[in-house]
Amino acid sequence: MKDITRVQCLLSTEVEALLNQQIKKEAQSASAYLAMASWCDSNGFDYSSEYFFKQSEEEREHQLKIFKYVLDMGGTAISPEVTNIQTEFNSFREVFEEALDAEISVTQSLKNIAANCYKEQDYVTIEFLNWFFKEQREEEYKARRALELFDVIGEAGTGRWEIDKHVNDIKYDSEG
Amino acid sequence: MQNVITEAPVAEFTEVFRTHNGSVFQSDRENCWYIDFVGKLARFDYRSIMKLRKAIYAIDIEALLLNSEITPDLEIVFICACDHCYVLTLLEIIDFKKLLEGTFVMLELNRIIHDRVYRLSV
Repeated sequence: MKDITRVQCLLSTEVEALLNQQIKKEAQSASAYLAMASWCDSNGFDYSSEYFFKQSEEEREHQLKIFKYVLDMGGTAISPEVTNIQTEFNSFREVFEEALDAEISVTQSLKNIAANCYKEQDYVTIEFLNWFFKEQREEEYKARRALELFDVIGEAGTGRWEIDKHVNDIKYDSEG
Repeated sequence: MQNVITEAPVAEFTEVFRTHNGSVFQSDRENCWYIDFVGKLARFDYRSIMKLRKAIYAIDIEALLLNSEITPDLEIVFICACDHCYVLTLLEIIDFKKLLEGTFVMLELNRIIHDRVYRLSV
């Protein structure tokens, strides 16, 4: 009997479902960053707003990258529904805490997909995911560094203004 | 007298899985499956059988069982871009799910056999 399912699609049902879940997660991150950009902008933190706009765009690119991969491998990519986006924050610091939390959760979710791929010996998808792991190194670094500015500079006086000014300068250049 | 060599007829369909109430056949030539269930034989290609599986698995059987309202225990399973539509009772849904689960286990097994036996041999 011919193996029609394999001929049609490289991905197993489980991996396809996990990748679709990841598409949703990236879409949710993109929207969450947009909400953060909006909050920062309306509270006068222009540079941070710009930083979150860029982050949102990056998350959207990640989403599309996975989306196209699923399609290229013969699977069905599902355009996700994005709900429950937090739009209000108690403080400037909380925005960055939420951002780091979101990045950690994305890394964890990618690790979960990779674990499943190893189990199934889906090395093709693992190779695809490697790019994301490298990207997460940068994303987590930037989010952590941004949060550290609050401790290094301090929020008193013109502290928040100073933090806002420095957020956009964070660069990760240890791409090895 | 001329010798006529008759070849054995090529099997058009392979049975993938069968339960008491239905069966699924694969046609290698057409790259599709035929599902024989509730007195109806329907053809499904890869995309539509995947959609069918999703639709059937998504039915909350437990919720239907616990539902005490006086409504008919019927579910209409309609798949986009597919000519077929099923109107199933609760028992039929359970049977159909069993049939599809068995089918996909067999297809998975077939993939493993292909991977291990045929695809690795030189």
